[in-house]
Amino acid sequence: MKTVNIQEKILTKNEMKAAEMREKLKNVAVLNFVSSPGSGKTSTLEKVLVMLKDKYKIAVVEGDQQTTHDADRINATGVQAFQVNTGNACHLEAIDIERALNTLGYDLDLLIIENVGNLVCPAEYDLGEDAKVVLLSVTEGDDKPAKYPVMTRAGSAYIINKIDLLPYVDFSVEKCIAYAKGIQPELEFFTTSCRTGEGLDKVADYIERMIKAKKA
Amino acid sequence: MHELGIASSLIEIVLDTANANGAKVVRSVTAKIGRLSAVDGEALKFAFDAIKEEYPLIAESVLIIDSVPVTGKCNKCGATDTYDEMFFACSKCGSYEVELITGEELTVSEIEVD
Repeated sequence: MKTVNIQEKILTKNEMKAAEMREKLKNVAVLNFVSSPGSGKTSTLEKVLVMLKDKYKIAVVEGDQQTTHDADRINATGVQAFQVNTGNACHLEAIDIERALNTLGYDLDLLIIENVGNLVCPAEYDLGEDAKVVLLSVTEGDDKPAKYPVMTRAGSAYIINKIDLLPYVDFSVEKCIAYAKGIQPELEFFTTSCRTGEGLDKVADYIERMIKAKKA
Repeated sequence: MHELGIASSLIEIVLDTANANGAKVVRSVTAKIGRLSAVDGEALKFAFDAIKEEYPLIAESVLIIDSVPVTGKCNKCGATDTYDEMFFACSKCGSYEVELITGEELTVSEIEVD
């Protein structure tokens, strides 16, 4: 019997496809929006993308198990969207992005991916994005970053949404940020309300910074 | 549950390596899995055992999981720590500016062959 030393990283088919997508999208800012169902991903995008759509070429890939409701909402704002229905799957995979881009085209400044509402599995699937933007609404509890640490760790930006409801819930923004920073110190934080519009301009600035970074 | 995909990629690497080394049979496969890699060792073993049957070269092999703990170093005070939970605050000075040293591995480290 002999021992053969290998020391090779295990790359899954999805990671290989994601690397291919990253190469094809090297001048496009790609943001993967992730959250629980109902945190306000689509509402945030509806408001923020309107601020950017006249300046940049934008497309959105919408992931849900069923319905085209979210793509319809985005399309209604004048931004082109492509709906992927994952059926029984709980996350998008890199190949879904490739299929969507076969329709949307690669001539873009910004590609937004709105993942299936789920804080577990989407953390493990690289879609070729530059950053994962994690959303959390204040009705969900301020310890959520600690309960779903793999997603928190994978994030680049963290949006605390529905802050207009803060007076009615026991949610500490400070505590939430401390939990998240203990898991991913490099996170950038935003506090927003899609009802009042508070903080959304900061999210738009962040996205614009990402677009410019990819063009440089 | 992406362990099935990881098991098939792992098996591809093992088969290539075994063939390149003229092995007749693979006895064991050792994989290093960091606690932060989001891979469940038991689920990976289950997936590995389910797929290996299809390949005579590895059908009798055992997958050994080498679990790697999460360790890090504080960039503020220089203290090193091992973390049991995914919360990386320096135990000495409380800073969050911790740089992880181990825990993110997902590699095939070695195989034993005849």
